Amino acid sequence: MSGTGHTVKSYEEEMQNLNDNLVMMGSLTESQMADAMAAVIKVDKDSVDKIVKNDGKINELRSVIDNQITTVLVKRAPMAVDLRITISTMKISHDLERIGDLAKSVAKKVKPLPVDLPDELIGSLRRLGDLVQKQLKDALDAYLNKSKDKAIEIWKKDEQVDDLTNLAMNEVATYLQKDKKNLEMATHLLFVTKNIERAGDHITNIAESLYYLIEGEYLEGARPKGKPIES
Amino acid sequence: MELNNSKIKIKAKNLNVFYGKKQALFDINLDINQKEVTALIGPSGCGKSTFIRCINRMNDVIDICKVEGSVEIDGAEINEKNVDVVTLREKVGMVFQKPNPFPKSIYDNIAYGPIIHGAAENKDQMDNIVETSLKKAALWDEVKDRLNEPGTSLSGGQQQRLCIARALSVNPEVILMDEPCSALDPIATAKIEELIDDLKKSYTIVIVTHSMAQAVRVSQKTGFFHLGKIIEVDSTEKIFKNPANKMTQDYITGRFG
Repeated sequence: MSGTGHTVKSYEEEMQNLNDNLVMMGSLTESQMADAMAAVIKVDKDSVDKIVKNDGKINELRSVIDNQITTVLVKRAPMAVDLRITISTMKISHDLERIGDLAKSVAKKVKPLPVDLPDELIGSLRRLGDLVQKQLKDALDAYLNKSKDKAIEIWKKDEQVDDLTNLAMNEVATYLQKDKKNLEMATHLLFVTKNIERAGDHITNIAESLYYLIEGEYLEGARPKGKPIES
Repeated sequence: MELNNSKIKIKAKNLNVFYGKKQALFDINLDINQKEVTALIGPSGCGKSTFIRCINRMNDVIDICKVEGSVEIDGAEINEKNVDVVTLREKVGMVFQKPNPFPKSIYDNIAYGPIIHGAAENKDQMDNIVETSLKKAALWDEVKDRLNEPGTSLSGGQQQRLCIARALSVNPEVILMDEPCSALDPIATAKIEELIDDLKKSYTIVIVTHSMAQAVRVSQKTGFFHLGKIIEVDSTEKIFKNPANKMTQDYITGRFG
């Protein structure tokens, strides 16, 4: 953000470590989301335990980042861009942790699913998963490049996430209407869909935090919302 | 730069100051709002102290110092030849980095100014001025039973509040503070900052400080000086959260030099 480094080298190192840990956390969260989506689409029950276990690493990193931030606040009393980096890193790390939790919840829903998941049920869900993964990747790239324009783009795109969520939920509801025996499976898939949508909301939060970090101002206006589909 | 509807108390226009051949301030334009705290920050030697010394013409006492340009208080030029400097300094009080009580009693430290200005007609009136000034400086309760003891017997923080009370005793409108807490411990500093918060209801305050945290805590407006020039002036919140100028950002985030 600023071309010149801090006069105090250890301050520079602390901020660099904070950045590195957030990037690592982002990368882990991205993998977890990808693995969880793949597990759902392929109904890969064997991968679930690994995904659940890996969530612990994300939680640990958040805890490390929290501690680092407390240290920076108390030691450095950061100002201006350093203050904004510190505050935004804390918020982004919490959003990443929540995305990690949601990926874990998605993965856990795979175990009760039947192995022969009908294609008509997962079309929109797959697209939704792809979109949210793309949003997460873009958000992390935008963080690395400190791209304000990309942050705005991601923020606006949440509308598409909402629309696809509605579509996916409608598909599951239609399937459920065909045969009440599908209730259990449908319920699990509705939770999966909702969790992915909520991950999308956290990505929107990340875009907002990033915008604040770069601009020192909050993104104005109401969040874009998808139109509910009437069933 | 006018930020809100507050009335401008002090207006510096194209102010240039020279110490001999060396120019210390370059074309300073700065508005200071009434009944607000304005903080001036910047590295040592940047001209912030020189600037506040222009507001009560303290630079007059330095032979080689030459001031060009204008400083207005309530729209009246203070550098005019017919301005009485004693009256000006009654209106614009000053508190320095190191507490500098007179080698006199606590009572006499406060009474000194009002005596010079003939502000009291009798002992009762003077007692009243001393008590009111010490109360305004939040020192009365600590010294009311020892008014005849030397001012220098007080602690550093108390001495600084005594100096503030001394400035207040002549009913000033503006108080200039040149690093008033740099020689004080955190508790004494907190008391002075609490006092500044209270005093701004009645006085216009300009404070020079090297502590960013102090500038954030006490001021509403902040000006950043560098090499005799004013680089950026804005609301304190804007300066410390999102300054517009890269030099300001580099200075307040510790990326200078």
